[in-house]
Amino acid sequence: MAVRGGIWGIFLLIMVASAIWQVTSGSARIDGDVLSLIGLEKTDDTARKSDIETVRDLLANDANQAIIMVSANQQDMLETATRALASDIANIPGTKSVSMPGYDAGNLARLSDFYLPHAQSLLSDRDRALLRDGNGEPVYQNAVKTLYAPASMVSAASLRADPFSLLPNFLAELGNKLGPSGIVQRDNNFYTPILIILTPDLRRQGRDIAWVGKVNDVITNAQNNTNQSDGLTIAKTGQVFFAVAEATAAKADVQRIAIIATLGIFAMVLSVFFSPLPLIGTLITVGSGLIAGIAAVTLIFDGIHAIALVFGASLIGISVDYALHYLVLPADEKSPTARIATIRSGLSLGLLTSVCGFAVLAISPAILLAQIAVYSIAGLIAAYVTVLFVLPLLPARSIKHRSLIPRVYQKLDDTLRRLRLPRLVRGMAALAILGGFAICILFIPTDDDIRHLGHGNDTLTTQAGLIGDTMGMGGNPVFIRIDGADSQSRLQTGEAVQNALRPLIKDGTVGSAFGLSDMIPSIKRQDENRTLIKDQLFEIYAPKLAPLLPINIQTPNPDAPYLHADADAFVQFPELANLRDGTTDIVRLNAVTDANAVAMAIANIDAARLINPRATITDQFSHYRNWATVGLAIALLSAGILAIARYGMIRGLCVLGTPAGAMLVALGGAATIGITINFFTIMALFLVFAIGADYVIFFSESQKHRQQDTTRFAVFLSLISSILAFGLLASSSVPVVSAIGTIMAIGLPTAWVLSYAMCPTSVKADQSDV
Amino acid sequence: MTHRWSKAWALILFCAAVFPAFPVNADTTGLTSTAMLTPISDQQYLTGSFALDRHLDGFEAPLTSTGEFTLSPSKGLIWQNLKPFPDTTVMNDQGITRKHDDRTFETIASGARFHQFIALISAVLGGNWDPLSDQFTITPAKTATASNWQVTLAPKNNNGLSEQISQIIVKGDEFVTHVTLHKPSGDRDEITLNDQKRHDLPLPTDLAKLLSGNFD
Repeated sequence: MAVRGGIWGIFLLIMVASAIWQVTSGSARIDGDVLSLIGLEKTDDTARKSDIETVRDLLANDANQAIIMVSANQQDMLETATRALASDIANIPGTKSVSMPGYDAGNLARLSDFYLPHAQSLLSDRDRALLRDGNGEPVYQNAVKTLYAPASMVSAASLRADPFSLLPNFLAELGNKLGPSGIVQRDNNFYTPILIILTPDLRRQGRDIAWVGKVNDVITNAQNNTNQSDGLTIAKTGQVFFAVAEATAAKADVQRIAIIATLGIFAMVLSVFFSPLPLIGTLITVGSGLIAGIAAVTLIFDGIHAIALVFGASLIGISVDYALHYLVLPADEKSPTARIATIRSGLSLGLLTSVCGFAVLAISPAILLAQIAVYSIAGLIAAYVTVLFVLPLLPARSIKHRSLIPRVYQKLDDTLRRLRLPRLVRGMAALAILGGFAICILFIPTDDDIRHLGHGNDTLTTQAGLIGDTMGMGGNPVFIRIDGADSQSRLQTGEAVQNALRPLIKDGTVGSAFGLSDMIPSIKRQDENRTLIKDQLFEIYAPKLAPLLPINIQTPNPDAPYLHADADAFVQFPELANLRDGTTDIVRLNAVTDANAVAMAIANIDAARLINPRATITDQFSHYRNWATVGLAIALLSAGILAIARYGMIRGLCVLGTPAGAMLVALGGAATIGITINFFTIMALFLVFAIGADYVIFFSESQKHRQQDTTRFAVFLSLISSILAFGLLASSSVPVVSAIGTIMAIGLPTAWVLSYAMCPTSVKADQSDV
Repeated sequence: MTHRWSKAWALILFCAAVFPAFPVNADTTGLTSTAMLTPISDQQYLTGSFALDRHLDGFEAPLTSTGEFTLSPSKGLIWQNLKPFPDTTVMNDQGITRKHDDRTFETIASGARFHQFIALISAVLGGNWDPLSDQFTITPAKTATASNWQVTLAPKNNNGLSEQISQIIVKGDEFVTHVTLHKPSGDRDEITLNDQKRHDLPLPTDLAKLLSGNFD
């Protein structure tokens, strides 16, 4: 026994070292961003990315951007404050670049150089419409006036390539499609954005919290150093701010819950045993579970998600059951080996049932589910091994029956032992429970909307809304995905999409739409433009324009090279990479007020589809919920087979009916107080199932070793510890964590009561299975 | 790809070059106090005629236009081409607007940013070179006199101006009389200003309507 305990102790130390190294070296970090865990699943179609993969890629790109909007009631003050703020932010480690669309000159020279050789293949929508209508006069007049305009950008080079000055109109329209920016005046205030690009490794290295802290300091300093009369206000938005806020809130919750739960369990154990030794045993068991869980997750994955961490903290509630099951055994003359033998079968069956349940999650395609499963399985196995190998090494201590908890327990136990139902009734009740649970899980309302999951941050949400409303930037991105085997077909579809969206842009339903085809028109479009320019401009107006120009106007060359969305274009404009993802082109939409109208507008374009990332991710969580529900059903089925094999049909059904009944009551109770079912509440049901199954299995197994009294007390102590841990989750500020806690707080006491009702043979007063 | 402010920059350059009234308070830049001009206040406006010769690299003959202008430091600028084609361009806080022959108007560019160039002109007309010194290196000619001076403006490298302009040379006496805008392409605009007069506000009704954005 001592040797096995020693070896296991060494294993635990190795796991501690591994976990500490993984976390402190940055190899594995805590991630609070829900989006970072989704969309990593493998898909069968390797050529075409799924919506969620495309959403993840786009959001990952957006995650490296942040927007700060500065406003003031004087433009001079606005410029001074904006430049100072941008300079300070540029100096923060983790900032890759900072730009001020309101004050930067832009990329005119780069764009002109790129487009000028193709000027006679490019037309603005307005000029194209005029030429298509055979009305080239306004285009010609504009060309003439541009020659003499005070701020004209014409040059010798531009006139040679573009004598009708068509390119400036194309470029101006391109700018409008990119959406509003610069400086906006509204209600006597002026607003301008600062666009920040973060270094790609900022979040991966866990430096995002420090970066956000420094940005907040810079903003505070700017506001403190300004007179209130200047009306300076600063708003910020970006995934990095939301992710850090969520992670901070989640970590604070985890710390609070873990500390209070741990102290509560300490107090409980000390008050029952009046000795620190059982407490040490409990600590070792719980600690080994947590260590093994963290070590396993950090070894397998790049990091631990905050949600998995919360579940990990909850693991205390399960692993402490195993320790208590051993510690409450009477400290009589039996050897430790003999004492452990009396609970081994119960522990083993309980562990097996729980591992079966979590194993179903481990094979799911979702990283989040896999992390939770690995954490739970590794933690439970470690706790189990610790109870078997380490706890017997500690001197046994007896329960002090006159202390408060044993006395309270005795009264409750006396009451519950009167719950004696005939065997057939129990069997019927179990069947009814199982049927009711199946119906409930199928028909109870669900809500997978990701907006309802997080802690939320009203300030950030308000600021994001203000920036979106004022500048048409940030906020929930909406885009149209265009699929097609070849680049040209996608570009043509992109042009069809722009045509379809034009009325919506005009009436303000869509602020702006920008896709690859706006930068690189399709060859078909370029051919059309060439024909229009030649037929409607050159042939009619070149003779009139020629005397005004100091150059010979050349008729457009029909064999001139086309503008292509090729590697050269992507090298010159790396931003274009955000508009193409494999065989999918992206049209980004800004300030969409009616997504349904957009979907309707493009409904007839087969290769184009509106993608709302929020809806897509919500669908993904719906998929996870379905997966977890199926997993729960499989876990129940597995547990049922195990129970029937072990206890026979009726008793097996009764054993299965206990956790199922607990889940049924938890579902009903949660629904009554307004908690809807989502992936996370299903996960909470998993925990209710695992712990509830432990209770009834411990009850059932105890009679084999005549340990019914001590087992029932151990289960009672387990219940208290679980309520301490999971009940506190209900107090979390994160809605999803609170929902989990509520499910647990309802489900676990129900499982405890049902264990009495469904397993009367474990009750000392009723030895016969009637 | 924020090129949409290029016209604004072009206007700022143009206006900064054409209306840099003179170094009355030139201490901050080292310019000597050679100006004969009393700065135009917000309660005044300036009128005059212009001749713009646009020299394109490699071509002998320039593109020449002539017309009249009106500048109000507090309202904006009206640039009226008379020859070879009549054309009116209005630049104010809200942007650039072109008046067509059929009396319709077309917004060439819009946005609160255009406050910047109006503010720039006003500051310069007030004899304050500070706004220009943020964007330009300002060098007075050593041979300048109080009645015949010259200033060279070179865009600083830390902004986008240098992509569009390489140098501006401004000459004048009581008013600005001649401006040369050299562009990186080798092209240049030669602007000659004449008949400049200072007036007290209010503006004539038709000009006031144009500058206030009332195009009805």
